[in-house]
Amino acid sequence: MATVEERVKMVTAKVLDLDPERIHPEDSFTEDLGAESVQSIELVAMFEEEFGIEMDEDAALSVTTVGGAVDFITAVCKEQGVDVD
Amino acid sequence: MRLIVVDRSVASRRHFWPVALSRPIWELRCGMTTLGEKLQAKVGASDVAYFLPEYMAEVYRAKTDRPVNNVSSLAGDLLIVDARIKADSLAVPDRSEVGVDEQGQVLYVRVTAGDSKKVHGGDLDAFLESAKAALPNVRCALPMWNYTWDLILASPHQITADFALAGRSGIEGTVEEPSAIRGSRNDVYVARGAKIHPMVVLDAEHGPIYIEEDVEVHPFTRIEGPCYIGNKSILLGAKCREGNSIGPWCRIGGEVEESIIQGYSNKYHDGFLGHAYVGEWVNLGALTTNSDLKNDYTNVSVMLDGKHCIDTGSTKVGCLIGDHTKTSIGVFFNTGSYVGAMGILMSTGKPLPKFIPSFSWFVEGVVTKGFGRKSLYETAAKAMGRRKCRWTPADQAMWDAIFEMTAETRDEAVKKGRKAMMK
Repeated sequence: MATVEERVKMVTAKVLDLDPERIHPEDSFTEDLGAESVQSIELVAMFEEEFGIEMDEDAALSVTTVGGAVDFITAVCKEQGVDVD
Repeated sequence: MRLIVVDRSVASRRHFWPVALSRPIWELRCGMTTLGEKLQAKVGASDVAYFLPEYMAEVYRAKTDRPVNNVSSLAGDLLIVDARIKADSLAVPDRSEVGVDEQGQVLYVRVTAGDSKKVHGGDLDAFLESAKAALPNVRCALPMWNYTWDLILASPHQITADFALAGRSGIEGTVEEPSAIRGSRNDVYVARGAKIHPMVVLDAEHGPIYIEEDVEVHPFTRIEGPCYIGNKSILLGAKCREGNSIGPWCRIGGEVEESIIQGYSNKYHDGFLGHAYVGEWVNLGALTTNSDLKNDYTNVSVMLDGKHCIDTGSTKVGCLIGDHTKTSIGVFFNTGSYVGAMGILMSTGKPLPKFIPSFSWFVEGVVTKGFGRKSLYETAAKAMGRRKCRWTPADQAMWDAIFEMTAETRDEAVKKGRKAMMK
C-alpha cells in the first residue's frame, strides 16, 4: 500500500499536472508548485476523496507545503479512524 | 383591527427557496410591492404583526418596528392570514371565523373584538387550534402563491395593477433631452430625485413605468413597460424589457426581461436575465446569462430539492438565485435553474447543473466546499458595507442555521463532485 506521502504527491501531481518525482515535502503548493486558488480547492476535495476523510476547509487551506499536507492528512485520518499505516 | 401575517409552514416555505431561505414569504416582491404590502393595503390595517420561523426572527426584527413572533400580539380585534394568500382574493369577514383549506390547514382567522375572549393560547399554534375549536370553520379555496415562479409570471400584470393603485404619474425628477417617452405620459412616473440621462427611451406603449426616488438611468437604456425600478437603483445602458420589477439599490445592465430582483444586487454588465427571481446581495459577473425558454417549447421544470423536478406549467421560467450568490464572468444557467444562496460560481463554458445547493463553491464544473463558510461571510460583510449596511451577529446566526438546513443536498453534491474530480 502506498504511503500517505506517496498518495499526497500522486494527487498533487494530478491536480497541478506535474511529475510526482519532482514534488518534494518542503515544496510550497503555491510558490514552488504554482497552485492557484481554485486548484487549492481542488486539492482539498481530491485529498478528501483519496483518503475518504472530511477536512475542515479553513484548517486544510492553511496548510502551505506538501509535507504539511502529509502531516495534516495523517492526523485527520487518525482522528476519523481511517487506516493509513 | 390588527393584521397578523404568518409564514411558518416548513413545507410551503421550501417552495419559495432559495429566496425565502433568508426572508419571510411576505417580503417577496411581485409587481411594485411585496406580498406583505399588498395584504396590508387590501386589509387597510396600520397595526401589523408577524410570525415567522425563529431562525430568521432576530434579523427580521432589525428590519421592522412591528412585533415579530410576539404572542402578546394575539389579542383583541384580529385578522391572521397565511402570507401565501393572494391579497386580491382576501375579503375581511365581518364575523369571527376560521378559513380552512381542504386539508384543514388554517388560511385565515378572524376574531372580532367581541369574541376575543373565546380564543387563547400560549403560542401561535395553540391560538390557531383554540380558534378552530371555538369559532365557525369555513371551507375555502382562496387563491394562493405556491411557488416562486408564480410571482415571476404574475409580476408584469401586477405592476400594471399596482401602478393604477398608486395613482401617480408624471415627471417629478429630471428627464434630460434628448430622451423619448413612447405611449401615454400618464403611464409614466418618475419620482423626485430620479435622473433620466439623455438618449433614454421610456416605452410605456404596452404598460406603465414607475421609477422611484433617486433612480439613475444612464444613456442608451431602453425601459419597456410594465416596469418598476426601486429607490436608488442605477440602469447602465440596459435593455430593460417588459415586466421587470427591480428593487432598491440595484445596478442593472445588459438585457433583463420579466424578472424580479429583490434589491441590493448587481447585474452591471451585458448578459441576459429572463423570467428570473434574484435575491439580495447577488453579483452576476459579465455575460452571466440564463435560458428562460426550452428549444422544444415544453414546460420548464425546476428542482427545488436537487432530486425531483416540478413542472412549472409555464414555457418561460429562468433561474432562481438566493441571496449573496456571486457568479464569475460567462456563467450560463439552464432553463429553470435553482441556484442556492451564498454560492460562488465559476464558469465552465457550458450551462451549469440545474440545481446548485446553497453555500456551494462551484469550481471546475463540480460543487466543492471551496474556502468554506467563513470566507463567504467575510465577502457578504464587505458587499453589505459597500451599501452602508452592516453584517451582524444575527445575520451570521441566521446563515449558520441556513447552512445546517441545506447541508444534506450540499454534502451529496460535494461527494459527487469529489468523485468526478478523481476521474
